[in-house]
Amino acid sequence: MSVLLLRLAGPLQAWGASARFVRRTTQSAPTKSGVIGLLAAARGIDRGDDEGLARLAALRFGVRIDQPGVHVRDFQTAHHAATGKSMPLSERFYLADAVFTAGLEGDRAFLDELAGALRTPVYALFLGRRSCPPDPGIVLGVHDVPLDAALSGEPWRAAPWYGRRRSRDRTVSLTVLREPGGDEERGERGDVLRDQPLSFSAEHRRHALRAVVSTTVDAPNPYARQPAAPAPVPPHDPLGAL
Amino acid sequence: MNRLFLDVHALQTVPPSNLNRDDTGAPKSAVYGGVPRSRVSSQAWKRATRSYFEKQDLLDPGELGVRTKKVAEVLAARITAVDPALDEAAALLLAATVIQTATGSKIEPPKRKADAAKDGDDGPAPESKYLMFLSSRQLDGLAALAVDGAADIKAYLQDKANKARAKEIANTRHSVDIALFGRMVADSADFNVDAAVQVAHAISVHRVDTESDYYTAVDDKNSVEETGAGMIGTVDFNSATLYRYAALNVHQLAGNLGGGLRDDEARSTPVRRAVEAFVQSFLESLPTGKINTFGHHTVPDAVIVKLRTTRPMSYVAAFEEAVTGTGGYLREAVGRLAEYVPDVEQKYGDEGTTVSWVLRVGPATEKLSGLGTEQDRIEDLVRSVGQAVAERLDKPA
Repeated sequence: MSVLLLRLAGPLQAWGASARFVRRTTQSAPTKSGVIGLLAAARGIDRGDDEGLARLAALRFGVRIDQPGVHVRDFQTAHHAATGKSMPLSERFYLADAVFTAGLEGDRAFLDELAGALRTPVYALFLGRRSCPPDPGIVLGVHDVPLDAALSGEPWRAAPWYGRRRSRDRTVSLTVLREPGGDEERGERGDVLRDQPLSFSAEHRRHALRAVVSTTVDAPNPYARQPAAPAPVPPHDPLGAL
Repeated sequence: MNRLFLDVHALQTVPPSNLNRDDTGAPKSAVYGGVPRSRVSSQAWKRATRSYFEKQDLLDPGELGVRTKKVAEVLAARITAVDPALDEAAALLLAATVIQTATGSKIEPPKRKADAAKDGDDGPAPESKYLMFLSSRQLDGLAALAVDGAADIKAYLQDKANKARAKEIANTRHSVDIALFGRMVADSADFNVDAAVQVAHAISVHRVDTESDYYTAVDDKNSVEETGAGMIGTVDFNSATLYRYAALNVHQLAGNLGGGLRDDEARSTPVRRAVEAFVQSFLESLPTGKINTFGHHTVPDAVIVKLRTTRPMSYVAAFEEAVTGTGGYLREAVGRLAEYVPDVEQKYGDEGTTVSWVLRVGPATEKLSGLGTEQDRIEDLVRSVGQAVAERLDKPA
């Protein structure tokens, strides 16, 4: 088994799991359907192509929260073109300043193909919502290790300013949300999310349930201050002055 | 190679202004690189771009779309233009039936107005439930179809070939604005068009804190009572040097535009017109929020345009660490781009196939001069870009 690792970063991201109608929220980490959507855009898989999608959705997915970011609320108004009357107001939430490492586990040749597609995509890539383009350098590489090892072995990908803020910590503890592996009981620990894409077809977008196991990994902080050598204790001789 | 993306990057400084407000009236904001930034949403700038097409006559009205619920009335007018023998009510009925078949969207009189008009005479004209977005070309096609089947429109449209033709007309040869920005119709998804353009939220390259202007207004006619303000209030504003970015998928645009808006022109001609109109409108347009209060009429000081076969690339990461310039932010922002662009292009881009242009204003932007072919005027930039796009599209793969 191999793993395609991605760095998902940009000023804004939005990963909706139940984003519909006028209140469009975001999860705190990329959803599988969102990341599979990104790969589908890269390969030029059209919305109605359920078979093309199924091949992508069969990959085992995991994501590591390298820099959690903050929620930003966007309030949107729309006006009728002819009458100028207000249309329903909508609220959209974004994650600002976040960085994630995502991993997809599967067959090596297929993952290599996907990595290539991300460099020369058919459709433009975006982080969950169209107005959120990703930073360059999205592909971190394909590694011949299982998903868990790939996500825990990858160096911490946070921005330098964020790393410096945590300069007191020599290691940082990062949350990993991943699908259970073959020998783990499905859904034994963790949550179940309606986030397994079955169809992106505009008429009947469908998602099945998938299990999410939450663990943490420790990664060294390259921005950690070297602990100062203990200051030499001056000899204590209260009677010396006499 | 079937991939062609156009990246447009711009640095634009706006003085105290409030281009795009949130629900409290304050300018929109975001956090980036750990500090607050000014933000103008992608929707706001897309709207500004689209209205700029129309205001500046960059495109023939026939290449633009009509977005309305009163789509039946609009089509009925075209039907009576083709066949003046049809009366208004007949034309309206034809229009509603044809649109319903072509788009799958319900066309019926709005219920509330229909109830209100019950005792009165005719009742209101039928409307679509959502805003319907059709190009001039599509409306003409549907009008011709309606006149063809005017004798018995229901029977005419039950014929499979005619029904397919109605759908085909509504789903090809989209107007330039639909092809660029897409179309969403909630109740008939197969009528949707995916946008060829991706516009990012504009954000400031530096830290921005929103300021508040406290104002008082004097009552000119108040001579008797004790003096004081006739009115007081506050207006929130900020000023910012914004990084703006948009990516245009040229092949997707060509697909959305279909075979050309006129039958006698090459496939690349409408694409070229659309690309040129987009680049110019995106760069010159401005969201109009509080424009009469602040008069923030500015244009970008620095523009980089790239035509590439690899993935589109935003340069926003050059500003993740906020610019802290003294004496303005533009010079340092330009310096950041001058370092970041060659670096990221060398690592992720494709120098062999990427074409670059630069348009810049003033001495603060000098560092950009090596980054692409410099253009003297925006017209030159727009024309060069359009020509390069057309050449690439016409070249056999």
